[in-house]
Amino acid sequence: MNGLKAALVLFVAALFQLSVLTEYRQFRTASIVLVALLAIALLRGSVFGAVAGFGTGLLLDTATLGTLGITSLLLTVFGFWIGRYGETTARDRFHAPFLSVAVVTGLYAFGLVGLQFVLGQPAPAGLVARGLPLALLLNLVLTLPVYALIRRLFPPLELGDRVREVRLLG
Amino acid sequence: MGVLVLLSLVLITVSFRSSALDGVQGTAAGILKPFEVAADRISRPFRDAVSWGRGLVDAKSQNKQLKARIQTLQQQLSLDEGAVQQNVQLKAALNYRGLPSIKNFRRVNASVAVNPQSAIDQSVAITAGTNDGVRAGDVVIDPVTGGLVGTVDRAFPSVARVTLLTDSQSAATSIDLTSPTAVGIIQPGGGGSDALVLDLVSKSKVVREGDTIVTAGSLGKSTLQSIFPRGIPVGTVTSQSSNDVNPFKNIQVKPLVDFSSLQSVIVLVPSTR
Repeated sequence: MNGLKAALVLFVAALFQLSVLTEYRQFRTASIVLVALLAIALLRGSVFGAVAGFGTGLLLDTATLGTLGITSLLLTVFGFWIGRYGETTARDRFHAPFLSVAVVTGLYAFGLVGLQFVLGQPAPAGLVARGLPLALLLNLVLTLPVYALIRRLFPPLELGDRVREVRLLG
Repeated sequence: MGVLVLLSLVLITVSFRSSALDGVQGTAAGILKPFEVAADRISRPFRDAVSWGRGLVDAKSQNKQLKARIQTLQQQLSLDEGAVQQNVQLKAALNYRGLPSIKNFRRVNASVAVNPQSAIDQSVAITAGTNDGVRAGDVVIDPVTGGLVGTVDRAFPSVARVTLLTDSQSAATSIDLTSPTAVGIIQPGGGGSDALVLDLVSKSKVVREGDTIVTAGSLGKSTLQSIFPRGIPVGTVTSQSSNDVNPFKNIQVKPLVDFSSLQSVIVLVPSTR
């Protein structure tokens, strides 16, 4: 059920980003998909985050007719990483979603440039660096409503559900 | 996670090095198309309201400017009509065979389904593909201004990807309409803006601010025929300068097309196809 809900949320977020948000040049640096994915990963853990990231990346690569796998690779890694952060230390902390979004926004932007560079495609790092402050600001602004909405859809797991994730010793 | 990363790397390799996944990607993109179109239609009234509000702010000053411009253009039009008539008569009399122009192409109208997704992405996805006769390399123009938008990069059955003229790998042989011997290569100016540069124009050529730049067709030095038909407007010259170091003029061009708000495009498909 959680998987279906996550798929629906990320599909709607991807459509909104592909057809509406990127219509305006100022908002092209923002990524509501990234914010939604990180929120889901924080609330549902590393494996869930990685799978959701892979699927979302594949959807974005398909819709933009770009090279398949580039966005999947990045979102899988970041979905897993932020999921792990949520499982271990961050689940109930107020700053966790904001910190996750801020860090991943920067890493995602330069990760994309790095992959483009490896593939021999244009990789203007200076352009990305100049757009990064606006991207950070927009993504952080999006984090508050998106995280609140996703937290309602995916309530934090009870302690009983969590013991499977981190094995308690002693 | 390791499996998913490995799968992503395999996808990148296969997708980048071959066209084995093109069929699957094209089908999947075709399935997504109705959803993208639906999202676009739902959001359009809101976007229209925003642009209407923006337009209202500049309406008064623009109205004055446009009235003055209409007068000038009406005078220009009467002169041009005479020249066109004379040109047609002379071509018929000489049995003149010119370079391919837009008239030799079939027009395929398509809407823009997916906009550029980031600052470094300079491509759009359109809702026409190989089923409509569109192939990689076809030239794309703007239906409003008729200006050059770019070329089709990848074509699938019902969708295609267009690389914009502002992409760092785009270039087209172009000429100054007022001074047709000033031939150069139009390419992006860089820095993330839409400004273009007309490069490789000799210092001896006369190029003035306000001149219109159009595609040259096959006038380049290459033996290969240009994929761009002659006479597609590209933009207007905003500044030009030269120095002792550079053997060519430094010409800045403002594109005719507003690349930030492309709603629909026309793909020029050769009539012979």
